[in-house]
Amino acid sequence: MEEMMETVVPQEDFDRNEQRYLRELELDGHASVEAKFGYAYCLVRCAHKQDIAKGIELLEDLAEHHPEGRRDYLYYLALGEARMKNYSVALNYCKGFLEIEDNPQVRSLQEYIQKRYDKDLKKGMAVAGGAVLVLGGILGLGMALAKNKNRRDK
Amino acid sequence: MSSAPYNYNYIFKYIIIGDMGVGKSCLLHQFTEKKFMANCPHTIGVEFGTRIIEVDDKKIKLQIWDTAGQERFRAVTRSYYRGAAGALMVYDITRRSTYNHLSSWLTDTRNLTNPNTVIFLIGNKSDLESTREVTYEEAKEFADENGLMFLEASAMSGQNVEEAFLETARKIYQNIQEGRLDLNASESGVQHRPSQPGRTSLTNEAPNTKDQCSC
Ligand SMILES: Nc1nc2c(ncn2[C@@H]2O[C@H](COP(=O)(O)OP(=O)(O)OP(=O)(O)O)[C@@H](O)[C@H]2O)c(=O)[nH]1
Ligand SMILES: [Mg+2]
Repeated sequence: MEEMMETVVPQEDFDRNEQRYLRELELDGHASVEAKFGYAYCLVRCAHKQDIAKGIELLEDLAEHHPEGRRDYLYYLALGEARMKNYSVALNYCKGFLEIEDNPQVRSLQEYIQKRYDKDLKKGMAVAGGAVLVLGGILGLGMALAKNKNRRDK
Repeated sequence: MSSAPYNYNYIFKYIIIGDMGVGKSCLLHQFTEKKFMANCPHTIGVEFGTRIIEVDDKKIKLQIWDTAGQERFRAVTRSYYRGAAGALMVYDITRRSTYNHLSSWLTDTRNLTNPNTVIFLIGNKSDLESTREVTYEEAKEFADENGLMFLEASAMSGQNVEEAFLETARKIYQNIQEGRLDLNASESGVQHRPSQPGRTSLTNEAPNTKDQCSC
């Protein structure tokens, strides 16, 4: 899990995905779901907080407008928020996901974030900001996920 | 983080690729946990697993990236091919379509990895003999034509799972012995860890990543 969380995106991948996203924006006025997700996925694995925040914004937008991929976006929202050290927000995303679908991959992400959170709490540097705000959003996403749930297993 | 000596001599990086539902995650799980997951949800992006094995009295840590087969992840999983020493390419012997897609997986692998990457073809779900759609002979011929190693395996019974992961490692190790792999090049997918006490951490893991900052 450490590897998943801490590995920073290779510059080459970042550049390729950013260029694709920007090119589509420029040509069509909006980017495709794939381009957006590819770019967001790179952003949340950046070292800089501004980049991660931008990735989170894109993922929130995707989660709202592209229900099919919602579970994926929730997962990476949790990962991004955790990398921002917004642990309680990240844990809310995990919890929201797990209420809809039991998933070992999400459970191990949750455990990892919880450990980091506990460690930071001990150090007294946890950031609780945003937790309340996000709760509303999570419930909305959760309900939308529930609606989609039965479509997954053919 | 710790200053303990490495308890392994090499790190080999693997990727597992193939269509969705062929059993990639179950194979990884069977290899690392020796258990079968009956109801495994689709992987989100990538999953990661490790196990330390032994080849020729050398301890080797396998770092395994299990990629999502769903089409929409193709763009994001591509980045995991680079620097893979081994690629396990999986199809499902009971679904011909997963076999037909192998050439496209192989093209991606060849384009995105280095020429020495060991590619191992796995025909998974060999326990489901009665619903088989792809014969052993046919797949074996495909593997031979393309210079791939090949086994049929079952993540459910565990049959040939160890063999596939271990034979890949043996082949990589052999390439190192024969000087075919440049251990200093990050794209070789192999790192040498002289088991020398007191050396710390994996500080320069990824030389060409976006610059670190602790903001
Ligand atoms: N009978 C049998 N079923 C298997 C075997 N391996 C996997 N399965 C089943 O096949 C389904 C898909 O397995 P996964 O490991 O999730 O497939 P995957 O390739 O990781 O799929 P994605 O993550 O979507 O790319 C699961 O329901 C497994 O239980 C096997 O060897 N035999
Ligand atoms: Mg999987």
